[in-house]
Amino acid sequence: MNRKIIAQRMRKNPFFIVGTITCTVIIVCLFVIPYFIPFDAQANSLTEMFGKPDWFSKGFEGHIFGTDQMGRDILARLLLGGKISLAIAFVVVFIQVVVGTVLGLIAGYFGGIVDSIIMRTCDVVLSIPNLVLALAIMAVLGTSVVNLVAVLSFSGWVQFCKLTRNNVKVASNMEYVHASQALGSGSARVMFRQIFPNVTTHIIILASQRIGWVILLESSLSFLSLGIPAPTPSWGNMIANGREYLTLYPWIALVPGVALMFVVLGFNFLGDGLRDVLDPKRTS
Amino acid sequence: MGNYILRRIGQTLIVLVCVSLVAFFLIRLAPGSPAVLLLGDGATDEQIAAKEAELGLDKPLYVQYFRYIAGVFRGDLGMSTQYRMPVSDLIANRLPNTLRLAFFTVLLGLALCIPLGIVAGSHRGTAIDFFAMFFALLGQSMATIWIAVLNVYVFSVVLGWLPAVGTGTWAHYVLPVVTLGYPLAAETTRIGRSGMIDTLNEDFITATHAKGIRPSVVHWKYAFKNAVCPVITLVGMRLGAFLAGAIVVESIYSWPGIGQLLKTSVGNRDYQLVQSLLLLSAFLFALVNLLVDIINSLIDPRIVLE
Repeated sequence: MNRKIIAQRMRKNPFFIVGTITCTVIIVCLFVIPYFIPFDAQANSLTEMFGKPDWFSKGFEGHIFGTDQMGRDILARLLLGGKISLAIAFVVVFIQVVVGTVLGLIAGYFGGIVDSIIMRTCDVVLSIPNLVLALAIMAVLGTSVVNLVAVLSFSGWVQFCKLTRNNVKVASNMEYVHASQALGSGSARVMFRQIFPNVTTHIIILASQRIGWVILLESSLSFLSLGIPAPTPSWGNMIANGREYLTLYPWIALVPGVALMFVVLGFNFLGDGLRDVLDPKRTS
Repeated sequence: MGNYILRRIGQTLIVLVCVSLVAFFLIRLAPGSPAVLLLGDGATDEQIAAKEAELGLDKPLYVQYFRYIAGVFRGDLGMSTQYRMPVSDLIANRLPNTLRLAFFTVLLGLALCIPLGIVAGSHRGTAIDFFAMFFALLGQSMATIWIAVLNVYVFSVVLGWLPAVGTGTWAHYVLPVVTLGYPLAAETTRIGRSGMIDTLNEDFITATHAKGIRPSVVHWKYAFKNAVCPVITLVGMRLGAFLAGAIVVESIYSWPGIGQLLKTSVGNRDYQLVQSLLLLSAFLFALVNLLVDIINSLIDPRIVLE
């Protein structure tokens, strides 16, 4: 596709613009603000328990979003938790893309029994709800960040596999594929050099839409204390923790909740915008 | 038609067999013997060995698997180590509560999505379309945990209108159902809208317009039928995966259903229960999907041919 046309569509698409701006602002904040605030995300301070939000009355010196039941600064925890959640989401989506795409290429290119085995495996994984499967695996493996990444990756590669496989089925009948085969290229070369570049658009779109989904699933697991283990902050376990103090100290749960909403909204806008930009024929 | 349904039932059975294998071997990966969990830490080696023999744990794995499957068909799912009662009784006690929640959730989702999605799709670019899209995007971006906490804060803590936890009266249904129903309604609204847009671009719609049929009749009689298939598929998928949302919502609102049971069983390493709930959730998912495919093939006969 022509780069000029894509750039033009990007400038005209409100979803893409709002999504890009929101995500950029959030990522910049996550990495820049920690240099301005004097608090540590994990340092307890028993004299400052349940501190009300100072907002910006004291600048960066005060507890902008207040403190929690251990006197920890909520903004500092929010920023650290956000960094961890985003890093996990990017790594997980990357793994899902690699595993799903490679299996999808193999299934779509070779067809027959290989295709059947891979597709039935997909059906099995799909037939157990994501969170249920993740919960069961985490219960057996125990909670740690590595296990969390493995579980989240495992529950989401199927969509990439099915998508790639269907696109490869179409692409393998194209003349350039037959030409390459006739010239004596091996299967691996045909798959990765000839077919793969022609199926990337849909993978990019799906990957961008999955970031928000992974963040939501991770926050649910952390909320159920089967995700990122405490005391490391994550938005899910911050909400779970704040829920107990909702009557008297509501900011402990509401601040990470609002942050979670904006991040996922930003990535969903970006994903939808990217789809409109790269694949304008689809309307869903 | 009959062939199609038979083929789908066959596929479903294969998937269920595979899930039962996954559930069975996943639990065997867990550290510690179930016998120790049943007897407690103070048990002697002889007691543990006796218990293992009683539970059949000394047999080879494939024998254990077939025994388990035979048990499933007799309705015997083993003993829960945490509640010290049969797993089947626990599930039977809790399942109706979750099913009631699922019923009202789907009702709310459909009641919101059909008017909103279909009207938005047939009035593209208007204020109602913008509202529907905003409603949908917001709903898809709110985590269940966040909607739940926000609901409790606004309606129970600040306004004091609705109870935050427990069961009993109709008021107890409102917050869990809204929490589960809003993301569902958001997704279905979106699918309904885009289905409507796609359908309205088809030639047969142009033909009905050309015949001089009133637009409202075209929209609701001809286009609606085509746009509703993906909505039914999606509702089916979400209903099948209802347990996932129910885990979070039931534990927040202390709703005594399957989701809460799964959460506590995972927390207490009650593997027999986890295994059965995995199987149950896959079974429900497969059953709902089968029904959805059959309903869709009745609405749109083209599906059978693919």
